[in-house]
Amino acid sequence: MSAASTDTVIDVRELRKTYRTPFRRKKVEALRGISFAVQRGHIFGFVGPNGAGKTTTIRTLMGLIRPTGGSATILGHTIPSRAARAKVGFLPESPYFYDYLTIGELLDLAGRLFGLDASTRKKRADALIERVGLGRARTQSLKKFSKGMLQRAGLAQALMNDPEVVVLDEPTSGLDPIGRKEVRDLILELREQGKTVLFSSHILTDIEAIADRVAIVARGSLQSIGTPAELVKRTVLGFDLKVRIAAEAAIDHLTAGASRVRRVADELAVTLGGDADIDAWLERAHAAGAKVIAVEPRHETLEDLFMRQIAGADSASAATEGRV
Amino acid sequence: MLRRIWAIALNTFREAARIRVLYGIIVLVAGANLLAIVLGQMSIHEEQRVARDIGLAGISLFGSLTAIFLGVFLLYTEVQRRTIHAIVSKPIERWEFVVGKYLGMAIVLTILVGLFAFAMAGMLTWQGVGVSSAVVKAVVLAWFEVLTVASIAIFFSSFSTPFLSGIFALAMWGLGRVTPDIQAAIENGSPWIKTTARVALEVVPDIHLFSPSGRIVEGATVTVHGDFVTWGYVGLASLHALGWIVGLLAIACLLFQRRDFA
Repeated sequence: MSAASTDTVIDVRELRKTYRTPFRRKKVEALRGISFAVQRGHIFGFVGPNGAGKTTTIRTLMGLIRPTGGSATILGHTIPSRAARAKVGFLPESPYFYDYLTIGELLDLAGRLFGLDASTRKKRADALIERVGLGRARTQSLKKFSKGMLQRAGLAQALMNDPEVVVLDEPTSGLDPIGRKEVRDLILELREQGKTVLFSSHILTDIEAIADRVAIVARGSLQSIGTPAELVKRTVLGFDLKVRIAAEAAIDHLTAGASRVRRVADELAVTLGGDADIDAWLERAHAAGAKVIAVEPRHETLEDLFMRQIAGADSASAATEGRV
Repeated sequence: MLRRIWAIALNTFREAARIRVLYGIIVLVAGANLLAIVLGQMSIHEEQRVARDIGLAGISLFGSLTAIFLGVFLLYTEVQRRTIHAIVSKPIERWEFVVGKYLGMAIVLTILVGLFAFAMAGMLTWQGVGVSSAVVKAVVLAWFEVLTVASIAIFFSSFSTPFLSGIFALAMWGLGRVTPDIQAAIENGSPWIKTTARVALEVVPDIHLFSPSGRIVEGATVTVHGDFVTWGYVGLASLHALGWIVGLLAIACLLFQRRDFA
């Protein structure tokens, strides 16, 4: 990787945000000192459950929320910065747009705010409308758009300024599998164009599929950060085995020590632990006349890590609250 | 900067033009003019006076109420519906957004005042009265009143809910209209009442300046039916309006700058 491709585009240091409830003035810590960096040309996935602080972090970066503490820079500009926002494309979570506009008018408004001249606005809007597959909905007002279409419109307006950095808050939320795949492909295409993408999601398969680096947040704190390969353990956690049995008597031999057993007609699916002797099990299966259909080692997934870390964050938080 | 403000203003105009209540208000104003004709016929040789008074009162009242309605809703709904997220995350300063919203509203209100004035001119012509320079001056003053009221509404809307903003803006407009009457009423009051009232009136725009008909200006009673204020007075009143508009928008921008859009 070249030196240019490793420079930091987004640098977040000890970012904090504390809200106070209106009357009781009770403190709510939305961000508790989050730090991370996003390198140029990377796709950075921001994962966490609802209320983890993903959206607060992103809104703080985009100047919608003022941080209580810490700092952040985008392309070297300390936020909130108009200069930084000029080079950033942003898709808000569950985007809301002026529903009386058409997609062309929305993109024209976005282009005007980015300071683009009329011919550039027209050219980019036309290209983006086709790129996000809204060519047939050009004359419709946004009020008539489905959620998926609005998400696409949001992506188009985020790309009007041909940004260096693209920040997407839950871009695949509410989309059907085809829509999710299209958004993932678009994000990959943006990386190929040299753009840096920060996107949040709680759909872990989306993150795992395309992110170069992943940050897991829970309860306003960063739990883990790294590449998906660094984060998930490559050791074998277990084996998923599937056989077609010839005799009922073989079942007891094959399911001994299994953590999970499932039978559909003459097919038997067995899950064994990582320390199980697979060779001995396969010998038993052959001896019982069973036909082996599949043997799959099971590695830790981002979902396993996520669930473990969220549980850890919850118990740590409960312990802290208990002490208080 | 101007291009961004203009983009917001145009979008605000487009948004406001879709509010059906505005068309209802236009119908109400047309109805008020028709009422003026009917009441004029019922009066004894006072058709002209009734026509002018109701026509001008319609512009001032309905224009100001529309300004309050637009001012308290247009900014608030941007935050409430979260349409603002996709806007202020662009390279636009928040003050540019507030000024753009106001400018868009001002365009809508100017068109409305123009329509009201056109309807009144039609009614006066039908009555055989014609449009005097006093009526033109009164319309210009009413226009500045409406623009000032819009800035009051947007000021309250920058930090409060539409309900409270509406109440505050109505109260400020009402107080501003009767400032001289309050001053006269407290003349015989105790010193602390006088002081309190004077301080309170200092923070309210002198909206009565925009409807001088029937009041004493520079020692003489002026009326839209006879000797009215000079263009110099209209110029000074417009400067007074501009001062309040700039001041209120500046505070609204400062307050808006500090808001979180969570």
